Amino acid sequence: MNVWTELPFARNLRDRRFQALAAALLLAGLAMVAPPLPLTRSGVSVLAVVDITGSMNVRDYTRDGRPASRLDIAKAALRTLLPELPCGSRLALALFTERRPFLLFAPIEVCADFAPLDGAIAGLDWRMAWEGDSRIASGLHRAITMAGELDTDLLFITDGQETPPLPANGIPPFEGMPGAVRGLIVGAGGYSLAPIPKFNDRGRETGFYAESEVQQENRFGPPPADAESREGYNPRNAPFGGAAARGEEHLSSVREPHLKALAAQTGLAYAHLDGPDLRAPLLAAATPRPLPGRLDPRPFLGAAALALVLASFLAGALRARLTPFTPSRTS
Amino acid sequence: MTPLLASLGAATPWLLWLLPLAGLPLLLSVTRRSPVASVAAAPEDPVSSGLRIALTAAGMLAIGGLVLALAGPYRAGERVTRTGIGAQISMLIDRSGSMNETFAGRQPSGAEESKAMASRRILRDFVGERAHDQFAVTAFSTAPMLVVPMTDRHDAVRAAIAAIDRPGLDYTNVARGLGMALSQFGAGAPGVSRALLLVSDGAAVIDPRIQAQLRAEFTKVQPNLYWLFLRTKGSPSIYDKPAGEDTPQAAPERHLDLFFKSLGVPYRAFEAEGADAVAGAVRQIEALERDPIPYTEERPRRNLTGWAYGLAAFGLLLLVLAKLAETDFLRRPVRERDAAAAGPARATPKKAAA
Repeated sequence: MNVWTELPFARNLRDRRFQALAAALLLAGLAMVAPPLPLTRSGVSVLAVVDITGSMNVRDYTRDGRPASRLDIAKAALRTLLPELPCGSRLALALFTERRPFLLFAPIEVCADFAPLDGAIAGLDWRMAWEGDSRIASGLHRAITMAGELDTDLLFITDGQETPPLPANGIPPFEGMPGAVRGLIVGAGGYSLAPIPKFNDRGRETGFYAESEVQQENRFGPPPADAESREGYNPRNAPFGGAAARGEEHLSSVREPHLKALAAQTGLAYAHLDGPDLRAPLLAAATPRPLPGRLDPRPFLGAAALALVLASFLAGALRARLTPFTPSRTS
Repeated sequence: MTPLLASLGAATPWLLWLLPLAGLPLLLSVTRRSPVASVAAAPEDPVSSGLRIALTAAGMLAIGGLVLALAGPYRAGERVTRTGIGAQISMLIDRSGSMNETFAGRQPSGAEESKAMASRRILRDFVGERAHDQFAVTAFSTAPMLVVPMTDRHDAVRAAIAAIDRPGLDYTNVARGLGMALSQFGAGAPGVSRALLLVSDGAAVIDPRIQAQLRAEFTKVQPNLYWLFLRTKGSPSIYDKPAGEDTPQAAPERHLDLFFKSLGVPYRAFEAEGADAVAGAVRQIEALERDPIPYTEERPRRNLTGWAYGLAAFGLLLLVLAKLAETDFLRRPVRERDAAAAGPARATPKKAAA
C-alpha cells in the first residue's frame, strides 16, 4: 500500500496557507531569474555657467560657521547637485566673466565621469577670469545661445552685479526667442550689501573696494531722465551732471530685481541660492529628457513573497487562538 | 574569513532590522493544528521531532532569506592596480582668438578648417587610442583655466577637447598656463611617464621671475615636453632668427623654444603648418610615450541578492512540500490510521502530528 495515495491532497491543495506558501515560492523563484525591466526615466542635460567675476568673491554666506564666498557656495551647490542627478544626465561647464561664457567642456555624463566633472567644478577659481567686466545681461544672452547650440538647458549662477552698471536705458534687448531654451537663473549672495574683496596682481587679497575705485554710473549712451535736475548739468559738456557719480556699486548684494527682469525677458526661471540645494528648482525648470533606465522587479517580488510567508505563519497563530490550545511535545 | 565579512554589505541596511522576524517559526507553525487530548499519549518519535526541527529551520530560512534579499546584499568591489602601457599627458591648449583662424591666417570659410578645429579633430582621435593613458586638459589665454583634472575617463577628456574650437579669448599668456599644466600632474606614482603637450599658435615673452619658478617646477616634475606649434603661413618659425635685434620681444617663438631647450627636460618641438603635419606630430608623440603606467581597475561589487532569494526559495520549497504532504490523523478512520502506522513510510503522516 502506498502512503502517497492516502494523503489528503485535495484538502491540502485547498488549504489557504499552502496556496500562500506556494505563491511565495513562485515569487522567490521568479526573483532569482527575473531580468531588470527596461524603463524610461527622465534626466536632465544642463549647461552650468558660473559667474567668476570679482563680486562673486564677496563672503556673505556662512559654511561650517565660517564666512564663505558666493563662488565657494556656488561650487558646493554644483558638487552637491551632481550625485543627486539621475544617472545619464549630462552637465557641461562654462565660466562667465566680461560679457560672454567660456565653455570648458561639452556635456559629460554625471555618473560614469563623476570624478573629472567633480574635479573640474572644484577647480573653478576667480583667477581664471580673463577680464574684470561683468556684463551679465550680455553674458546671459550668449549663454542662452550656447545652451541652444549644445542642445542643453541652462543653469546660470550669478549675483547679478553688472560692472559697469547698466546704462540708463536698461537691459539690452534679447534677440533670441524667450523660452526656446529653458533653464534657471540662480541668484547668489545675501540680501544686504557687503564689501567686495580686492586682490593685487599676484592674486593676494589687499582689502576691499572703496566707493571711488569702481564705476558708479554708466555714462555711455543717453543720460538718464533726471539728468537735467543734476547740479552742473550742461546738455553738451556735462550731460550727466557736473559731479562725480556716487553710489553703492562698490558694495554688493544679490540683485534679485535685475535677475528676475532678465529671467522674464528670456523666459527662464529664477531661484535664490540658499546654500547647497539646486536639485528641486533645477528639475522643475529643466526639460525632462528621456533616459534608458532599468527597473529591478526583485524588491517587489521579494516583498510580496515575504508578506505571504509572514501571513501564513501568523494565520496559524490566529487560528490557534480560536481553537483550544494543545501544548505540543517539547522534546 | 574576516576580510570576507568586512567586504560584505547591504544596499538598504535598515531593512536588516526585520531579521528578527525570522524567529517567528520558532513560535508558530504553518501546519494545521489538530486537537489531541494528550500529546504525551503518543509514543516518543525521533523522526517527528527531527521533521519539526527541519520545518522550523526551513521557515526561518525562508523569512530570513527574503529579508536579506530585500536588503540587497553584496560583496564590495575592490580596486586593483595593474600596469599597462601609457602615460600621464597634461595638455595645455591655447584658446586665444587667433586659434580660430586657418593656417593661412584667415577666418575659415566653406570647407576650410581653423587651427582650433584641426587640433580638436586630431587630439580627439589621440585621446582614447590607448586605454590606459591619463589626460588632463588646461586651457589658457589671458589666464590659465583648469578644464579637466588628470583622469582616465576618456569621455570627459573628449568632451573638453570638443570645446576647444569655440571662439577664443584675448591673449596668449603661456607662462601661467605652463604653471597650471605642470600642477596637473600632482604627486603621482614614481616611474610614470609624464608628458606635457603644449598646443599653441604663438608664444609670449615669459617674465624672467616666472622663468625661474617654471624652471624649478620642470625640474621637480620632470615631464617630457612637446610643443606643437601651429604655425600660420608667413609668421616667423621657431628657428628663424629675426633680422634686427634678437630679443624675446622681437621673436617670442624662438625664445620660448630656447627657454624650453634650457630646461633640462626631454623636449621636442613640432612645427605644423597644416592639419596633416599636426596629425603626423601627434602620431610621433604617441610613439614616443610608450612606457608602463600603473592604473587602477575597479572590480565591480558582486550582488548577492540572487543567492539570498535562492536560500529563501529552498526554505519555501521545504515548507510547500510539507504542506502538500500534510495530514490530519484525527480525521481519518481509526483502522486506516493503524494501517498507515504499520506501513513503510510512517514518517510522512506524522509530520502534522509533531
